[in-house]
Amino acid sequence: MKSVLQGFALLFNFKVIVVIMLSSIYGLFVGAMPGLTATMAAALLIPFTFFMDPVPALVSVVTMSAMAIFAGDIPAALIRIPGTPSSAAYTQDSFELTKQGKAEMVLGVDVFFSCLGGLLGAVILMTSAPILAEFAMTFTTFEYFWLAAMGLSATVMVSAGSQIKGALSMFLGLFLSTVGVDITLGFPRFTFGSVELLNGVNFIPAMIGLFGVSEVIRSVMGGELAYPITRVRTGHIFRGMWGLLRKYQVNFWRSGMIGTFIGILPGAGADIAAWVAYAASKRFSKEPEKYGKGSIEAIIDSGTANNSCLAGDWVPALVFGIPGDSITAIVIGVLFMKGLRPGPMIFEQQPEILYAVYMAFILANLLMIPFGWLAIKCSSQMLRVPRNILMPGILMFCIVGSFAINNTVFDVGIMLLMGIAGYFLEDNGFPVAPVVLGLVLGPLVEKNFMMSVIKADWNLAQFFTRTGSAVLCILTIIIWFFPLYMALLQKVKKSGKSSK
Amino acid sequence: MRKNDLIFGIIFVVLGIFIFTQTFFYPSLDKGHPGPGLFPNLLAILFIIFGAILILKARKPSDAGEEEAPPPAHGKVANAFFVLGIIVVYVAVVDIVGFLLTSAVLLFVLMFKLGAPALRSAISSICITLFINIMFLKILRVPLPPGILGW
Repeated sequence: MKSVLQGFALLFNFKVIVVIMLSSIYGLFVGAMPGLTATMAAALLIPFTFFMDPVPALVSVVTMSAMAIFAGDIPAALIRIPGTPSSAAYTQDSFELTKQGKAEMVLGVDVFFSCLGGLLGAVILMTSAPILAEFAMTFTTFEYFWLAAMGLSATVMVSAGSQIKGALSMFLGLFLSTVGVDITLGFPRFTFGSVELLNGVNFIPAMIGLFGVSEVIRSVMGGELAYPITRVRTGHIFRGMWGLLRKYQVNFWRSGMIGTFIGILPGAGADIAAWVAYAASKRFSKEPEKYGKGSIEAIIDSGTANNSCLAGDWVPALVFGIPGDSITAIVIGVLFMKGLRPGPMIFEQQPEILYAVYMAFILANLLMIPFGWLAIKCSSQMLRVPRNILMPGILMFCIVGSFAINNTVFDVGIMLLMGIAGYFLEDNGFPVAPVVLGLVLGPLVEKNFMMSVIKADWNLAQFFTRTGSAVLCILTIIIWFFPLYMALLQKVKKSGKSSK
Repeated sequence: MRKNDLIFGIIFVVLGIFIFTQTFFYPSLDKGHPGPGLFPNLLAILFIIFGAILILKARKPSDAGEEEAPPPAHGKVANAFFVLGIIVVYVAVVDIVGFLLTSAVLLFVLMFKLGAPALRSAISSICITLFINIMFLKILRVPLPPGILGW
């Protein structure tokens, strides 16, 4: 109890409050602008949080992501374009309902259920993390190897689109993580004589390039200048929300669980959570014909899931140091750079970091109600910001952010190259998030593997005979067969339908 | 899309081969066990295998049921090059001219080139530059290049 109070005390100092306010505004803005994703927002936030103490830095990221995932719902409803990928699953339904004159209700559902979903996720995070941390104390390098391998597998298997391309993206990230001095002998790899590369490809400019610069390049090449939106009544968005909660209770709990669980699964983020919740919702709904044509049930389910997923993402991140999604991957990457290793140790040695995260989730989701309401009021102004002003501004943040980390223009060069690479990759169907996950998990996988084999004197059997390792190994293999399982399910469904 | 898949497949296979050439001379651990070369070699193999799969898939006609997302707009390629050029110019010039001036001017140029009206570009670029300046220099205390003019 004392530590919980300590946690609160951490949050209620002036600097942290200012950080929360600014991060909320930032998250709401980025979330509401189509084309700017929550991951990109996190990437651009890092140069600022890098120079802050850990508590305000983490609070900033948590608040920003919670607001951004909610705010992506706003343009989905108003102009049929999702503000972030996590709102894509129910954009159609949201917009259809707006066309039917029910925009108020949609937006109210967005705010209300995002908030509740986030709170549910936070509660699960706070209760499950310490339990898992106890467990994690027994983990050695063998188990961590399998965990990292599981994270890599999940990243590939659940990535949207072609898994081959997702895998290749990830390999690219893994390869980039090998640049620099190696873990076993200190031997320089792929540095081609460059002194700067001895420390490896600097994670932050690489990430800013991949997510920020590539998006700027894409944006200036085409697309809308600004989004014309029709004014919509937003006076009483909260009317009827409790009624909807009572009516769709089961949906709420189910989707909250789905979302949090997908968050806990390493590598799977809010967009996946929204899609899975949507599919489950349709499957169990009493009105499946409405899906795609304006089902408020779909919005409730997916809107809950994508926000609850955010808290779930922090479970593996805090307990094992394995990212739950690309945002936590970015956070972990930065924490590593600062010498902070997330893992069971922080539960004992630095619990203030945990409490900062827990409290930030609670506070951010509570603030979502008033802030979300404000954001909705201002949405038409926000969406009118022209891209030819916005994109150069973002580019400038990218450049300065990349430079500021190490005070070297070499990093800006990395940012540039990764920006170009990221653009071409995404243009051709290669997802970019696995690159970051590879970049962050690569050192984990290699280090734990090498340490394990050296300890065991190259007796590889140990990877399978230790109980913890065996369990994780089986889980990893199950994940590999996930797409096959899905394909089989499809076939069974199809043959089932045709025989009726 | 198909042709590009083929190109990418080839690129990845070549990358895998390239990695092998580099790791050939990496030292081993004692008793001949693989050391620094292990992980890169594994990745090289994966690049070659998956790159080859990509090449094979690219040469087959479209499978039924495989959905391709529509290719995004490629209208103004010149803009993209302009953005890249701005970054290069920024890097070249910022140490000489200093952060404030370089940022404000290049921001203005980019906004204007992208079609924003001159006055709006000017005001926005100055505001954004000042905002970044305050955030980094004053609040976070991160050094930004001063340049010959001293600011």
